[in-house]
Amino acid sequence: MDTSIWRPILYLIGFMAFAGVNAAWLGWAERKGAAHIQRRNGPKEVGPFGLWQPLADGIKLMTKQLLIPSGTDDILFRIAPILAMIPALTSMVVIPFSGNIQARSIDMSVLLIFALASIGMFAILLGGWASGNKYAVISAARVVSQSIAYEIPMLITVITIVMITGSTNLQDIALAQQGGFWHWNIFRLEGGHFVYMWIAFLIYFICSVAETNRAPFDMAEAESELVAGYMTEYGSMGFGLFMMGEYLNIVVGACMTTILFLGGWGSPFGFLPGIWWFLIKIYILIFTIIWIRWTYPRTQIYKLLNLSWKILIPFSLVNLLVTAAFIKVF
Amino acid sequence: MMSDLLFYGLVTTLVLLSLLAVSLPNLLHGAIALIGSFFATAALYIMLQLEFVALSQIMLYIGGIIIFMLIIILLTSGLGQENRYMVKGRRRAAGAGVSALLLIGLLLTISQPSETLQKATLRAAPVTMDDIGFRLMATNKNGFIIPFEIISILLLVALVGAVVIARRDNGQEQES
Repeated sequence: MDTSIWRPILYLIGFMAFAGVNAAWLGWAERKGAAHIQRRNGPKEVGPFGLWQPLADGIKLMTKQLLIPSGTDDILFRIAPILAMIPALTSMVVIPFSGNIQARSIDMSVLLIFALASIGMFAILLGGWASGNKYAVISAARVVSQSIAYEIPMLITVITIVMITGSTNLQDIALAQQGGFWHWNIFRLEGGHFVYMWIAFLIYFICSVAETNRAPFDMAEAESELVAGYMTEYGSMGFGLFMMGEYLNIVVGACMTTILFLGGWGSPFGFLPGIWWFLIKIYILIFTIIWIRWTYPRTQIYKLLNLSWKILIPFSLVNLLVTAAFIKVF
Repeated sequence: MMSDLLFYGLVTTLVLLSLLAVSLPNLLHGAIALIGSFFATAALYIMLQLEFVALSQIMLYIGGIIIFMLIIILLTSGLGQENRYMVKGRRRAAGAGVSALLLIGLLLTISQPSETLQKATLRAAPVTMDDIGFRLMATNKNGFIIPFEIISILLLVALVGAVVIARRDNGQEQES
């Protein structure tokens, strides 16, 4: 089976289906979650609990005319929404969904994921600039500064995990945390040296929310200041693809947080096969991200950058130093 | 068979995108074609099992250098601005001559079976992260410990410097 031509094709179909279903129904989950947090009902007309709402939305978006305003950069305007989905889809190749569900286990999968994450804002930059709209251009500039600022503490925190595990393979990192929740990197109770790892988890989680452009850090599409930022000129499926890209980024971010800190597919007590635990963990994280979005108001761009440069980077550097010292001493 | 097909597909994409990168009149479109060609190169490296080189290609060239190029282009040129220059016939001939010479030279070098080249290829093929790490930290004559340490200090200084600059700005804001 390993060398068969069907394996990559099956994985490709699987990833596409996973991505499509997630992108569609996370939209529903977000609307439902937002509605209940704000004491509303949310979508409820189409199907039970509005469950078929994503299908209706999809048909509506696809039948709408793809409008390209005059004065835009035609080619880039069409390419940008497609580019928005590519990095997230590509990084699924190396994510271990369970002990034996992984398309390809390469040695440097952590590096691959963060290399792809660093070019994630690329689509937004191009889309915003190609729109030729002042709001969109401001949004594109913001995305770049935000993404660069939050990549640094994120990578430094990931390095501490890599140092503790001694491997840059996601599979190895998850394997090192098997056998009960006290082995997970967020707790690390057994040795007693790394009990402060929840600080690293907090830094990483904040960074991953900021990297995916979610509220309270969604400076790129701040409706109150920039109309809709880079999406201002997009309608129909262009808008749809940008939204799908955003949800896919959230899914990949949740997968990475699960693998790096929450034990991957490892079950906390020891029942149920691994894949279910992995899915449960990522959906709890995704729900938390939705919850945060509808609870906290949007920050301002300079506060956002200050948070990264003045708080998160010093903390993550100290964390790195302390971890290195502990590894050397014990 | 499968990998041969993949290789030729990738190489065709690489050549096409590189041609586009130098011939498109719009600077931004050219930069994006360049990104595509870098990706194709990274895919080639992965086919050669040089994963570290492929990932550094993506991280450094696409994630770092190209993004800065893009920002510079976006800040300096207008939307959809096209730069078309007329190249004179004599210059065109000179360019064609230089490229033809280069092509002939390359063909001659590659087609000759060279023992050193083969040995180097065999030794380079599967490089693991461990190898790179040990080599970087080695203190013997093959090691790169001194450049590695200098670069790490340089990067740390740059990072701390950025934080210090940010702090000072804010302090003045509060005073005034």
